[in-house]
Amino acid sequence: MLSRQENNSRRIAALDEKAERLGLRRGTGIADARAMYPSLEVAEADPEADRRLIEALADWCDRYTPLVALDGVDGLFLDISGCAHLFGGERCLLDDIAARFFHQGFAVRAGLASTPGAAWAAARFAPGGCILGQGEEESFMAGLPLAALRLEAATRTSLESVGLSTVGSIAGAPRAPLARRFGTTLILRLDQALGRVEEAISPRLPVAVLSVERHLAEPVALMEDIERLVLLLAGSLKQDLERRGEGARSLELLLFRVDGAVGRVAVGASLPLREPHLIGRLFHERLAALEREIDAGYGFDLVRLSALATAAFESTQGDLSGAALSGDRDIAMFADRVRARLGPDALLRPQLSGSHVPERAASLRRIEAVPAEMHAVSDSLAGGSAVERPLRLLTPAEPIEVPATEVPEGPPLNFRWRRALYRVTRAEGPERIAPEWWREQEAAASRDYFRVEDADGRRYWLYREGLYDPFEKIRTRWYLQGLSA
Amino acid sequence: MATSAAAQETFFALREEIARIEGRLAARLEETAPAAGSGAVLVRRNGLAVTSLLATGAEGFDRALGGGLPQAALTEIQGAETRDAGSSTGFVLALVSLLLGEAPAPVLWTGTFDVFREAGLPYAPGLRSLYGIEPARLLVAPAQRLADALWIAEEAARMGGFSAVLVEIRGNPARFDLTASRRLHHRARDAGRPVFLLRQAGFPEPTAAPVRLIVSPAPAGPRQTVSGALCGSIGPPSFRIAVSKSLSAPAAQFTLEWNVHERAFQERGAENPVAVAPLSRDGPHIAAKTGTGLAFRYRAEPAARAEPAGKQFAPHRRLG
Repeated sequence: MLSRQENNSRRIAALDEKAERLGLRRGTGIADARAMYPSLEVAEADPEADRRLIEALADWCDRYTPLVALDGVDGLFLDISGCAHLFGGERCLLDDIAARFFHQGFAVRAGLASTPGAAWAAARFAPGGCILGQGEEESFMAGLPLAALRLEAATRTSLESVGLSTVGSIAGAPRAPLARRFGTTLILRLDQALGRVEEAISPRLPVAVLSVERHLAEPVALMEDIERLVLLLAGSLKQDLERRGEGARSLELLLFRVDGAVGRVAVGASLPLREPHLIGRLFHERLAALEREIDAGYGFDLVRLSALATAAFESTQGDLSGAALSGDRDIAMFADRVRARLGPDALLRPQLSGSHVPERAASLRRIEAVPAEMHAVSDSLAGGSAVERPLRLLTPAEPIEVPATEVPEGPPLNFRWRRALYRVTRAEGPERIAPEWWREQEAAASRDYFRVEDADGRRYWLYREGLYDPFEKIRTRWYLQGLSA
Repeated sequence: MATSAAAQETFFALREEIARIEGRLAARLEETAPAAGSGAVLVRRNGLAVTSLLATGAEGFDRALGGGLPQAALTEIQGAETRDAGSSTGFVLALVSLLLGEAPAPVLWTGTFDVFREAGLPYAPGLRSLYGIEPARLLVAPAQRLADALWIAEEAARMGGFSAVLVEIRGNPARFDLTASRRLHHRARDAGRPVFLLRQAGFPEPTAAPVRLIVSPAPAGPRQTVSGALCGSIGPPSFRIAVSKSLSAPAAQFTLEWNVHERAFQERGAENPVAVAPLSRDGPHIAAKTGTGLAFRYRAEPAARAEPAGKQFAPHRRLG
């Protein structure tokens, strides 16, 4: 039995059959129940866990139809338009759902009808596995209590207080007075249940552009088998992609485990993909990276490959040797595989931006689309200057100790960096770089940069932050920012 | 006669077999004279011309290596300490710059996080101004673990679509052993593109790379101006290169200087054959495109032209 805090008292939120047989009902206070049966076992309800469970179940129901919606906290809507024949008809589909849920240890009530409202009522108020045909809604709903209309409790009680206790009694009554007295929701619900008004369910997940799947009589658990299946599925996906003249940019592999868990493995491609072996290689890297996280358990009995996003596939004609155009494609494929295996931050490209502050002038960014950028010559002010810059930049710049300089604003005579002392033999500078006041939150000090060479011939890029002021005694700080060749 | 001829044939066959295993041309075994030019084009892979040797342009150095650095191979470049990272990186990038001259394809630079943290991340404006490596040409792959960095490097080396692959490691990790270097070398040889192993703060250990160079910094020469050397200035990058392993060269040391304008190496001490004030860094001056250009995009070299004639001092000295 589960309890829940409600209006300052603990009440029964859910209870099992045994407790039900004792005569307990939902909403009874825990104190009252305990007084009747002191040996009751009570646990705290966990709505968060309930929500996770229902979402996991919704994921699993994806095997029947891509359009799965949550209904409150304890129900699921499945839009099976066009899917029933895949399972041998509506009856077989319903039996399959009921049987699989039963084997997973859930008690489910299922109903099937042409409208969501009628199906909702059929699942809750009809004996198990009720299927309503087209046009049967009205006669079916007529005998049901008002609760079958998904009404609010207040509306229902006020309807019941005037003697309207079944759906049939409302359906036959004049509509205008009903709407005036009980609100338009009542009429809307009624129309929705009877199919006079369209009602759409809102699916949890976006529907994939294309998907192919394979039901397996014998569950698979080995990674090699899964990869082989990916190749097979990608082969059928290729035909669909070819028909549309497209290639996949984003792919997802859904692994439905026998016991109801669903694993999702997604990969992205920077160029539209079509070839099964390329798709297979991407998933190979991704699966290798996820090997520890994917728990095959008793095996997967349904594997689905969906193309979430597609783009126009440009067919290019290579020369006779077939080598001419492969360079960019190779690199795009390489980038995709690296990112599939090591994450999106695994491959970066320097990018110049128009700033005078050295650490802002260039940054390493993720790659969006490889080949288009690859041959574009960037033409920015920052990189075009002829000023010498270091090869490697320490981020952040490391503070150094400078005991003495020859002249107040000149280069250091020696400096201490990472606990070693360096004697400066030559220096060039200063190059003054003022802070960018339009970006800084508060006034930053300007920097004087020096290129210095130490006694061994190593060249560094140092800067002094702040200016010497003999009266103010402002402390200046020195930093080493870069290493030069 | 017949037996000796047969024996000689067997001998040559064996020699070729050895040369094939070692990944160099059999002819090189006898050849001591420097190869003419930069070497013939051997294969064309992915549209890139693959030459056997990369001539650095510094004659004595090339001659010692038997014509240049092997292109279809792993080359190990080592810096003794982390603080030498500037020099060793500069030398490798100079080699990459030479390669880019003949095969304009992207460059991959991979390494572990710790080496990038200790020695700094690649800085695109510097790479561009010194070596002409466009940011769009460079891919940087910092990896969490050494195994990941090696995986990236091996995959990239096998592909052959990159003009060069740089693997940067720190010290002598146990995971990067002879087997790992042999794997990299074989992939480089099969793809015909070079792989550079940049080892910071390490000591020489057995490697499958046919050439290992130890790079240390050398004091740079002064800047050259029209009226002679500019006193107290820091000139072009200079490197002290020790050939620590090579199949053809004895252990030797060279001091090379990178000519930023010509984008070529030259040996220190040689008379500078290059014009002091070059016409333009990127070839002859091209008329600016109308409309898009900024007024100060093509700037003259600052030190070379702006300094007045007469007695020359570095700018900061004039303050004091």
